[in-house]
Amino acid sequence: MTPPATTRRTDLLEWFKTITFYEILVGMKSTLSHLLHYKPVTLQYPHEKRTLPDNYRGMLALLRYDDGTEKCVGCDLCEAACPSRVIRVVSAEVPGEPTKRYSKEYYMDMTRCLFCGMCVDACPVDALGMTREFEWAVYDKRQLHLNKEQLLAIGDRSYPIREKRLELQHPNTAFFNVAFKHIPQKPE
Amino acid sequence: MTELGLRLAVSFTQIAAVTCIVIVTVLLLTLAERKVLGWMQDRMGPMEVGPYGILQPFADAIKLFFKEDIVPAGANKFLFTMAPILALIPALIGFAVIPWGPNQSLEIGSFSIKPFIISDINIGILYILAFASIGAYGIILGGWSSNSKYSLLGGLRSAAQVISYELNVGLSIVGVLIMAGSLSLVQITDAQSGWFWNWYVFAFPAPQIFALVVYVISAVAETNRVPFDLPEAESELVAGFFTEYSGLRFAFFYLAEYANMVLVSCVAAAMFLGGWNAPYPGTLIGYLGLPAFAWVENTMWFAVKTYSFLFLFFWLRATLPRLRYDQLMRFGWKVMLPIALANIVVTALAVFFHQQMK
Repeated sequence: MTPPATTRRTDLLEWFKTITFYEILVGMKSTLSHLLHYKPVTLQYPHEKRTLPDNYRGMLALLRYDDGTEKCVGCDLCEAACPSRVIRVVSAEVPGEPTKRYSKEYYMDMTRCLFCGMCVDACPVDALGMTREFEWAVYDKRQLHLNKEQLLAIGDRSYPIREKRLELQHPNTAFFNVAFKHIPQKPE
Repeated sequence: MTELGLRLAVSFTQIAAVTCIVIVTVLLLTLAERKVLGWMQDRMGPMEVGPYGILQPFADAIKLFFKEDIVPAGANKFLFTMAPILALIPALIGFAVIPWGPNQSLEIGSFSIKPFIISDINIGILYILAFASIGAYGIILGGWSSNSKYSLLGGLRSAAQVISYELNVGLSIVGVLIMAGSLSLVQITDAQSGWFWNWYVFAFPAPQIFALVVYVISAVAETNRVPFDLPEAESELVAGFFTEYSGLRFAFFYLAEYANMVLVSCVAAAMFLGGWNAPYPGTLIGYLGLPAFAWVENTMWFAVKTYSFLFLFFWLRATLPRLRYDQLMRFGWKVMLPIALANIVVTALAVFFHQQMK
């Protein structure tokens, strides 16, 4: 039984394509056209840098109010929110003001940070911010273990315009600063 | 004595000149390959060293020169040292019989020298094939003496591949040898003078176009280039037979690979594309009334042909993925070999009947 004529013709065509390396020639034409219409997509990185998107999530920083006081109230929520346990907060009472707390020590191990921004979302007083810094390659890994002063310094150089300290703060915020009667209290 | 001394001096000058040309070409190729590959992949290639990265080969050479020379523990030190030399020497030695320019003699006093031909031995092409086979020793010994499994596998693959495809290289040029009636590359090139249809790719009565295709594919495989780069497949074998090599010894292997590329391109240009012959009879410079400088145009034609083959190597590398091992072997033995053998039969019959007709 002979195959139909059309099948035979396509078979012949396939055979012809095989012996003339048709597919390879198509590929080579494609690479040659890229060579002839040469438009590189590369940026010469250290010399030219791409514009970062507005919501770029770069290096983390601690922020201050416009009067220079730290925003952080030592609530540990960032530590709880962090999926890779980057942050460690040591909270303490503000000396002389037993209703207010602040972070006595604040550490970030940036070797583990995956820049998800969940700590920034979690922060009730917007004390954390993500900067547009990304060139943080260092020769010693320990240099990525940042303390509070370093994080504040990053915030100072990345956020020159600071938020005003409000007289009346949001109740959520106030939970950590002022003890209200209608909010459940810690058992004594 | 003086004549012998003079002849030796001339030969050494020619050898030094050819070696310099080959090494400069290799330097150029390392840059050109990265640039061409980059351009074909919408990248820029090296851009840092010098304007547009043109000094990159020198930076690479200096870096390799000052790198630490590591001999792995348990390596056979003697063979480990010998292997890069065994790979490089056969690659460079083949250039001795390549005709770089017209077969003209330069009369100096009582004796004549041929400035573009180091030696015109009557088994030229056999000599190149023989030394290309010795190059496989460098690769397999380098793989074996490194005391590393990756190196050993790379060396074994390379040996099997080089042996399989060398056969096809040898058989694909037999058609040309039948038509030229000589093994000397100088005589083969001389026989292709005149119009470009005298080149053996197109020559009557038996165009060697299939032989050229078989030769080019087999040459790519023999020099371990993409898509036949199984001996140094970086996704499978780290770097194949030179995994354990560093510094200058690695540079030797690198140099050998590129020198081999230049050599097979030169042979392809000389055997199939007329060598230094222009596509038209004579030379344009000769017609302009400066026959003393015709060699410039002839050597330029040889360079153009060689470099277009080298460009083809890069082009294939930018286009094709690596073959599987069984595909490689099947293609070599079941496709290339029958085509080469059929080419010999057809060429022999055509040449025979063509001579009977006369």
